[in-house]
Amino acid sequence: MAEALISDEAFIKGCAAIGAGLAVGLAGIGAGAGESGIGAAAVGAIAEDRGFLGLGLLFTVIPETIVIFGLVISFILMFAF
Amino acid sequence: MLIGKNATWAYLVARTKVMKRKLIPKDEYRKLLNMEFNEIVRYLEETEYKKEIDEFGYKYSGPKLMDYALSLNLSRTYQKIIRISFGLAKDLITSYLKKWEIMNLVSIIRGKAANIPPDEIEEAIVPVERDLDYYRALIAKDVDEIVNTYRGTPYFETLSKMGTIPPNQLEDELFKTYYLELTKLKPAELSLKLFVDFVKMEVDLRNLKTILRLKAEGATPDEIISRLIPNGFELTMDECRKLATMSWSELVKALEGYWFWKDIEKVEEELSATEVLFDKAWIEAIAKRATSYPLSILPVMHYMVLKKVEVDNLRILGWGKWYNMSNEEIERQMVIV
Repeated sequence: MAEALISDEAFIKGCAAIGAGLAVGLAGIGAGAGESGIGAAAVGAIAEDRGFLGLGLLFTVIPETIVIFGLVISFILMFAF
Repeated sequence: MLIGKNATWAYLVARTKVMKRKLIPKDEYRKLLNMEFNEIVRYLEETEYKKEIDEFGYKYSGPKLMDYALSLNLSRTYQKIIRISFGLAKDLITSYLKKWEIMNLVSIIRGKAANIPPDEIEEAIVPVERDLDYYRALIAKDVDEIVNTYRGTPYFETLSKMGTIPPNQLEDELFKTYYLELTKLKPAELSLKLFVDFVKMEVDLRNLKTILRLKAEGATPDEIISRLIPNGFELTMDECRKLATMSWSELVKALEGYWFWKDIEKVEEELSATEVLFDKAWIEAIAKRATSYPLSILPVMHYMVLKKVEVDNLRILGWGKWYNMSNEEIERQMVIV
Protein backbone atom coordinates (compact mmCIF):
# COMPACT_ATOMS: atom_id res chain seq x y z
CA MET A 1 0.00 0.00 0.00
CA ALA A 2 2.76 2.45 1.05
CA GLU A 3 4.80 1.48 -1.98
CA ALA A 4 1.98 2.53 -4.17
CA LEU A 5 1.63 5.97 -2.50
CA ILE A 6 5.28 7.11 -2.01
CA SER A 7 7.98 6.83 -4.65
CA ASP A 8 11.60 6.10 -3.67
CA GLU A 9 12.66 9.60 -4.61
CA ALA A 10 9.97 11.22 -2.49
CA PHE A 11 10.84 8.98 0.47
CA ILE A 12 14.54 9.98 0.28
CA LYS A 13 13.64 13.65 -0.05
CA GLY A 14 11.36 13.35 2.96
CA CYS A 15 14.09 11.71 5.06
CA ALA A 16 16.56 14.38 3.96
CA ALA A 17 14.11 17.11 4.99
CA ILE A 18 13.65 15.50 8.44
CA GLY A 19 17.46 15.23 8.74
CA ALA A 20 17.86 18.88 7.78
CA GLY A 21 15.30 19.90 10.39
CA LEU A 22 17.00 17.81 13.06
CA ALA A 23 20.42 19.24 12.14
CA VAL A 24 19.27 22.83 12.63
CA GLY A 25 16.95 22.09 15.55
CA LEU A 26 19.36 20.05 17.64
CA ALA A 27 22.24 22.42 16.88
CA GLY A 28 19.97 25.27 18.00
CA ILE A 29 19.12 23.50 21.28
CA GLY A 30 22.84 22.81 21.87
CA ALA A 31 23.79 26.39 21.14
CA GLY A 32 21.01 27.61 23.42
CA ALA A 33 22.29 25.41 26.23
CA GLY A 34 25.78 26.77 25.75
CA GLU A 35 24.63 30.35 25.46
CA SER A 36 22.46 30.28 28.58
CA GLY A 37 25.46 30.25 30.91
CA ILE A 38 27.64 32.50 28.80
CA GLY A 39 24.80 34.96 28.22
CA ALA A 40 23.96 35.12 31.92
CA ALA A 41 27.62 35.72 32.78
CA ALA A 42 27.93 38.34 30.05
CA VAL A 43 24.82 40.17 31.28
CA GLY A 44 26.23 40.09 34.83
CA ALA A 45 29.58 41.49 33.73
CA ILE A 46 27.99 44.16 31.51
CA ALA A 47 25.64 45.21 34.32
CA GLU A 48 28.70 46.01 36.43
CA ASP A 49 30.89 47.44 33.69
CA ARG A 50 29.69 48.57 30.27
CA GLY A 51 33.21 47.97 28.95
CA PHE A 52 32.40 44.27 28.77
CA LEU A 53 29.67 44.78 26.16
CA GLY A 54 31.80 43.88 23.12
CA LEU A 55 33.57 40.97 24.74
CA GLY A 56 30.35 39.73 26.35
CA LEU A 57 28.53 39.72 23.02
CA LEU A 58 31.42 38.00 21.29
CA PHE A 59 31.55 35.19 23.83
CA THR A 60 27.77 34.84 23.83
CA VAL A 61 27.61 34.22 20.08
CA ILE A 62 30.48 31.71 19.96
CA PRO A 63 28.10 28.71 20.42
CA GLU A 64 26.14 30.09 17.43
CA THR A 65 28.85 28.57 15.21
CA ILE A 66 27.36 25.17 16.04
CA VAL A 67 24.06 26.32 14.48
CA ILE A 68 25.95 27.43 11.37
CA PHE A 69 27.40 23.92 11.07
CA GLY A 70 23.89 22.53 11.48
CA LEU A 71 22.63 24.93 8.83
CA VAL A 72 25.37 23.89 6.41
CA ILE A 73 24.46 20.22 6.94
CA SER A 74 20.80 21.03 6.37
CA PHE A 75 21.60 22.84 3.10
CA ILE A 76 23.66 19.90 1.93
CA LEU A 77 20.80 17.55 2.78
CA MET A 78 18.21 19.71 1.13
CA PHE A 79 20.04 20.42 -2.12
CA ALA A 80 22.19 17.30 -2.58
CA PHE A 81 19.17 15.05 -3.08
CA MET B 1 17.11 22.30 34.68
CA LEU B 2 20.86 21.96 34.98
CA ILE B 3 21.31 24.64 32.32
CA GLY B 4 19.17 27.12 34.25
CA LYS B 5 21.04 26.40 37.48
CA ASN B 6 24.40 27.17 35.91
CA ALA B 7 23.07 30.37 34.39
CA THR B 8 21.90 31.55 37.83
CA TRP B 9 25.39 31.15 39.28
CA ALA B 10 27.09 32.45 36.12
CA TYR B 11 25.23 35.76 36.40
CA LEU B 12 26.00 36.32 40.06
CA VAL B 13 29.59 35.08 39.89
CA ALA B 14 30.41 37.18 36.80
CA ARG B 15 28.97 40.25 38.52
CA THR B 16 30.91 39.73 41.72
CA LYS B 17 34.09 38.99 39.73
CA VAL B 18 33.77 42.39 38.04
CA MET B 19 33.14 43.96 41.46
CA LYS B 20 36.28 42.20 42.70
CA ARG B 21 38.31 43.93 39.99
CA LYS B 22 37.40 47.24 41.59
CA LEU B 23 38.98 46.30 44.92
CA ILE B 24 42.28 47.98 45.78
CA PRO B 25 45.08 45.82 44.32
CA LYS B 26 47.70 44.30 46.60
CA ASP B 27 50.50 46.48 45.19
CA GLU B 28 48.59 49.69 45.87
CA TYR B 29 48.87 49.16 49.62
CA ARG B 30 52.60 49.81 49.45
CA LYS B 31 51.87 53.16 47.82
CA LEU B 32 49.14 53.88 50.38
CA LEU B 33 51.50 53.07 53.25
CA ASN B 34 53.84 55.82 52.10
CA MET B 35 51.07 58.41 51.95
CA GLU B 36 49.93 60.88 54.61
CA PHE B 37 46.42 60.58 56.03
CA ASN B 38 44.99 63.36 53.85
CA GLU B 39 46.56 61.85 50.77
CA ILE B 40 44.92 58.51 51.57
CA VAL B 41 41.52 60.19 51.83
CA ARG B 42 42.14 61.94 48.51
CA TYR B 43 43.17 58.60 46.98
CA LEU B 44 39.95 57.01 48.26
CA GLU B 45 37.96 59.83 46.69
CA GLU B 46 39.11 58.55 43.35
CA THR B 47 37.90 55.03 44.09
CA GLU B 48 34.61 53.29 44.89
CA TYR B 49 34.48 55.15 48.23
CA LYS B 50 34.06 58.61 46.69
CA LYS B 51 30.29 58.77 47.07
CA GLU B 52 30.37 57.88 50.78
CA ILE B 53 33.26 60.24 51.57
CA ASP B 54 31.39 63.09 49.84
CA GLU B 55 28.21 62.24 51.75
CA PHE B 56 29.90 62.36 55.15
CA GLY B 57 32.42 65.10 54.27
CA TYR B 58 30.22 67.91 55.59
CA LYS B 59 29.66 66.17 58.91
CA TYR B 60 32.92 64.49 59.90
CA SER B 61 36.63 64.86 59.36
CA GLY B 62 39.79 62.84 60.01
CA PRO B 63 39.66 59.09 60.66
CA LYS B 64 36.02 59.31 61.77
CA LEU B 65 35.07 60.42 58.27
CA MET B 66 36.98 57.52 56.83
CA ASP B 67 35.48 55.08 59.31
CA TYR B 68 31.87 56.03 58.58
CA ALA B 69 32.45 56.25 54.83
CA LEU B 70 34.03 52.77 54.78
CA SER B 71 31.21 51.27 56.86
CA LEU B 72 28.55 52.83 54.64
CA ASN B 73 30.30 51.58 51.52
CA LEU B 74 30.57 48.07 52.96
CA SER B 75 26.93 48.08 53.94
CA ARG B 76 25.88 49.28 50.45
CA THR B 77 28.07 46.66 48.79
CA TYR B 78 26.51 43.86 50.81
CA GLN B 79 23.02 45.24 50.21
CA LYS B 80 23.77 45.27 46.51
CA ILE B 81 24.90 41.63 46.57
CA ILE B 82 21.64 40.66 48.27
CA ARG B 83 19.70 42.71 45.73
CA ILE B 84 21.33 41.18 42.65
CA SER B 85 21.19 37.59 43.88
CA PHE B 86 18.16 35.31 43.72
CA GLY B 87 16.99 31.84 44.68
CA LEU B 88 19.27 29.72 46.83
CA ALA B 89 22.14 32.23 46.51
CA LYS B 90 19.99 35.00 48.00
CA ASP B 91 18.93 32.78 50.90
CA LEU B 92 22.50 31.76 51.68
CA ILE B 93 23.93 35.26 51.39
CA THR B 94 21.16 36.72 53.54
CA SER B 95 21.63 34.08 56.21
CA TYR B 96 25.40 34.64 56.21
CA LEU B 97 25.00 38.42 56.46
CA LYS B 98 22.72 37.94 59.47
CA LYS B 99 26.03 38.25 61.29
CA TRP B 100 25.72 42.01 60.81
CA GLU B 101 22.33 42.02 62.49
CA ILE B 102 23.94 40.43 65.53
CA MET B 103 26.81 42.91 65.46
CA ASN B 104 24.33 45.77 65.24
CA LEU B 105 22.24 44.27 68.01
CA VAL B 106 25.34 44.03 70.20
CA SER B 107 26.15 47.70 69.41
CA ILE B 108 22.62 48.73 70.39
CA ILE B 109 22.69 46.74 73.63
CA ARG B 110 26.12 48.10 74.51
CA GLY B 111 25.05 51.64 73.64
CA LYS B 112 21.89 51.32 75.76
CA ALA B 113 23.89 49.96 78.69
CA ALA B 114 26.32 52.89 78.48
CA ASN B 115 23.48 55.46 78.08
CA ILE B 116 24.78 56.63 74.73
CA PRO B 117 22.40 58.97 72.85
CA PRO B 118 20.33 57.26 70.10
CA ASP B 119 21.99 59.34 67.35
CA GLU B 120 25.41 58.05 68.31
CA ILE B 121 24.22 54.44 68.53
CA GLU B 122 22.70 54.85 65.07
CA GLU B 123 26.07 55.95 63.69
CA ALA B 124 27.62 52.64 64.75
CA ILE B 125 24.99 50.62 62.87
CA VAL B 126 25.91 48.90 59.62
CA PRO B 127 22.56 48.00 58.05
CA VAL B 128 22.94 45.05 55.70
CA GLU B 129 20.09 42.58 55.43
CA ARG B 130 17.75 44.83 57.41
CA ASP B 131 17.31 48.53 56.70
CA LEU B 132 18.21 51.41 58.97
CA ASP B 133 14.56 52.04 59.91
CA TYR B 134 14.44 48.60 61.54
CA TYR B 135 17.43 49.49 63.72
CA ARG B 136 16.05 52.99 64.44
CA ALA B 137 12.91 51.32 65.77
CA LEU B 138 15.06 48.97 67.89
CA ILE B 139 17.12 51.85 69.29
CA ALA B 140 13.92 53.66 70.30
CA LYS B 141 12.82 50.61 72.36
CA ASP B 142 14.03 49.72 75.83
CA VAL B 143 16.11 46.58 76.38
CA ASP B 144 13.14 44.34 77.35
CA GLU B 145 11.24 45.36 74.24
CA ILE B 146 14.30 44.61 72.11
CA VAL B 147 14.43 41.12 73.61
CA ASN B 148 10.72 40.65 72.90
CA THR B 149 11.24 41.69 69.27
CA TYR B 150 13.32 38.56 68.87
CA ARG B 151 10.70 36.28 70.42
CA GLY B 152 10.26 33.25 68.19
CA THR B 153 13.76 33.49 66.74
CA PRO B 154 16.74 31.30 67.74
CA TYR B 155 18.28 34.35 69.42
CA PHE B 156 15.47 34.92 71.91
CA GLU B 157 16.69 32.37 74.45
CA THR B 158 20.16 33.94 74.57
CA LEU B 159 18.83 37.49 74.58
CA SER B 160 16.48 36.69 77.46
CA LYS B 161 19.58 35.96 79.57
CA MET B 162 20.52 39.62 79.30
CA GLY B 163 21.44 41.04 82.69
CA THR B 164 22.05 37.61 84.22
CA ILE B 165 25.25 36.89 82.28
CA PRO B 166 28.17 39.25 81.51
CA PRO B 167 27.79 41.25 78.24
CA ASN B 168 30.79 39.60 76.55
CA GLN B 169 29.34 36.15 77.29
CA LEU B 170 26.02 37.28 75.85
CA GLU B 171 27.79 38.33 72.65
CA ASP B 172 29.61 35.00 72.47
CA GLU B 173 26.33 33.15 72.93
CA LEU B 174 24.65 35.16 70.20
CA PHE B 175 27.42 34.35 67.73
CA LYS B 176 27.38 30.73 68.85
CA THR B 177 23.66 30.58 68.02
CA TYR B 178 24.31 32.28 64.67
CA TYR B 179 26.99 29.77 63.65
CA LEU B 180 24.96 26.82 64.94
CA GLU B 181 22.01 27.93 62.81
CA LEU B 182 24.19 28.04 59.71
CA THR B 183 26.23 24.90 60.26
CA LYS B 184 23.19 22.75 61.03
CA LEU B 185 21.86 23.28 57.48
CA LYS B 186 21.54 19.91 55.76
CA PRO B 187 23.79 20.01 52.68
CA ALA B 188 21.28 18.56 50.22
CA GLU B 189 23.16 19.90 47.22
CA LEU B 190 26.73 20.85 46.40
CA SER B 191 26.27 24.62 46.68
CA LEU B 192 24.80 24.25 50.12
CA LYS B 193 27.60 21.91 51.19
CA LEU B 194 30.24 24.37 49.94
CA PHE B 195 28.52 27.14 51.87
CA VAL B 196 28.32 25.11 55.08
CA ASP B 197 32.01 24.16 54.72
CA PHE B 198 32.86 27.85 54.22
CA VAL B 199 31.05 28.75 57.43
CA LYS B 200 32.69 25.84 59.24
CA MET B 201 36.11 27.12 58.19
CA GLU B 202 35.18 30.49 59.64
CA VAL B 203 34.17 28.72 62.86
CA ASP B 204 37.59 27.01 62.89
CA LEU B 205 39.30 30.35 62.60
CA ARG B 206 37.25 31.91 65.39
CA ASN B 207 37.84 28.91 67.65
CA LEU B 208 41.54 28.93 66.87
CA LYS B 209 41.83 32.61 67.80
CA THR B 210 39.81 32.05 70.97
CA ILE B 211 41.98 29.11 72.01
CA LEU B 212 45.24 30.97 71.36
CA ARG B 213 44.15 34.18 73.05
CA LEU B 214 42.72 32.46 76.11
CA LYS B 215 45.73 30.14 76.38
CA ALA B 216 48.04 33.15 76.24
CA GLU B 217 46.00 34.74 79.03
CA GLY B 218 46.30 31.52 81.07
CA ALA B 219 42.60 30.56 81.03
CA THR B 220 41.57 27.09 82.24
CA PRO B 221 40.51 24.42 79.68
CA ASP B 222 36.90 24.62 80.92
CA GLU B 223 36.81 28.37 80.39
CA ILE B 224 38.20 27.95 76.88
CA ILE B 225 35.77 25.16 75.96
CA SER B 226 32.78 27.14 77.22
CA ARG B 227 33.58 29.91 74.75
CA LEU B 228 34.09 27.74 71.67
CA ILE B 229 31.64 27.29 68.83
CA PRO B 230 30.70 23.68 67.90
CA ASN B 231 30.60 22.27 64.33
CA GLY B 232 33.99 23.37 63.04
CA PHE B 233 35.48 22.19 59.75
CA GLU B 234 38.56 20.43 61.10
CA LEU B 235 38.48 21.76 64.64
CA THR B 236 35.55 19.74 65.88
CA MET B 237 34.55 20.04 69.52
CA ASP B 238 36.59 16.92 70.41
CA GLU B 239 39.67 18.36 68.68
CA CYS B 240 39.14 21.69 70.43
CA ARG B 241 38.83 19.94 73.80
CA LYS B 242 42.16 18.21 73.16
CA LEU B 243 43.82 21.48 72.14
CA ALA B 244 42.41 23.36 75.13
CA THR B 245 44.01 20.93 77.58
CA MET B 246 47.48 21.10 75.95
CA SER B 247 50.37 23.23 77.10
CA TRP B 248 51.37 26.19 74.88
CA SER B 249 54.23 24.34 73.14
CA GLU B 250 52.14 21.19 72.60
CA LEU B 251 49.29 23.31 71.27
CA VAL B 252 51.48 25.11 68.72
CA LYS B 253 52.93 21.78 67.57
CA ALA B 254 49.46 20.20 67.31
CA LEU B 255 48.16 23.04 65.12
CA GLU B 256 50.67 22.30 62.39
CA GLY B 257 48.58 19.70 60.58
CA TYR B 258 45.46 21.81 60.13
CA TRP B 259 44.33 23.58 56.96
CA PHE B 260 45.01 27.06 58.36
CA TRP B 261 48.67 26.28 59.09
CA LYS B 262 50.23 27.64 55.94
CA ASP B 263 53.45 29.67 55.64
CA ILE B 264 53.47 29.97 59.41
CA GLU B 265 56.82 29.27 61.05
CA LYS B 266 55.84 29.92 64.63
CA VAL B 267 53.16 31.55 66.75
CA GLU B 268 54.52 35.02 67.50
CA GLU B 269 54.52 36.59 70.95
CA GLU B 270 52.26 39.23 69.50
CA LEU B 271 49.21 37.12 68.68
CA SER B 272 47.60 39.65 66.35
CA ALA B 273 50.49 39.20 63.89
CA THR B 274 49.91 35.43 63.77
CA GLU B 275 46.17 35.97 63.49
CA VAL B 276 46.82 37.98 60.33
CA LEU B 277 48.67 34.95 58.90
CA PHE B 278 45.73 32.70 59.79
CA ASP B 279 43.37 35.15 58.08
CA LYS B 280 45.57 35.09 54.98
CA ALA B 281 45.60 31.28 54.99
CA TRP B 282 41.80 31.34 55.32
CA ILE B 283 41.33 33.72 52.39
CA GLU B 284 43.74 31.69 50.25
CA ALA B 285 41.88 28.49 51.12
CA ILE B 286 38.55 30.08 50.10
CA ALA B 287 40.12 31.42 46.88
CA LYS B 288 41.40 27.95 46.06
CA ARG B 289 38.02 26.34 46.68
CA ALA B 290 36.29 29.13 44.73
CA THR B 291 38.55 28.36 41.76
CA SER B 292 37.69 24.66 42.01
CA TYR B 293 33.96 25.43 42.11
CA PRO B 294 33.56 28.52 39.91
CA LEU B 295 29.80 28.17 39.49
CA SER B 296 28.87 28.10 43.15
CA ILE B 297 28.37 30.39 46.12
CA LEU B 298 32.11 30.39 46.91
CA PRO B 299 33.30 33.11 44.49
CA VAL B 300 30.59 35.37 45.95
CA MET B 301 31.62 34.57 49.53
CA HIS B 302 35.26 35.12 48.55
CA TYR B 303 34.43 38.58 47.25
CA MET B 304 32.43 39.42 50.38
CA VAL B 305 35.36 38.41 52.58
CA LEU B 306 37.82 40.39 50.43
CA LYS B 307 35.63 43.48 50.61
CA LYS B 308 35.47 43.24 54.41
CA VAL B 309 39.23 42.74 54.56
CA GLU B 310 39.79 45.79 52.33
CA VAL B 311 37.60 47.95 54.56
CA ASP B 312 39.41 46.68 57.67
CA ASN B 313 42.81 47.32 56.04
CA LEU B 314 41.87 50.88 55.11
CA ARG B 315 40.55 51.47 58.61
CA ILE B 316 43.81 50.21 60.15
CA LEU B 317 45.75 52.33 57.68
CA GLY B 318 43.70 55.45 58.39
CA TRP B 319 43.84 55.22 62.18
CA GLY B 320 47.50 54.13 62.09
CA LYS B 321 48.49 57.11 59.97
CA TRP B 322 46.39 59.46 62.10
CA TYR B 323 48.26 58.34 65.22
CA ASN B 324 51.64 58.37 63.46
CA MET B 325 52.29 54.64 63.76
CA SER B 326 55.25 53.32 61.80
CA ASN B 327 54.59 51.84 58.34
CA GLU B 328 55.95 48.47 59.49
CA GLU B 329 53.59 48.33 62.45
CA ILE B 330 50.58 49.28 60.29
CA GLU B 331 51.54 46.72 57.64
CA ARG B 332 51.85 44.00 60.28
CA GLN B 333 48.21 44.52 61.26
CA MET B 334 46.89 44.52 57.71
CA VAL B 335 45.70 41.42 55.87
CA ILE B 336 47.13 42.04 52.40
CA VAL B 337 46.20 39.21 50.02
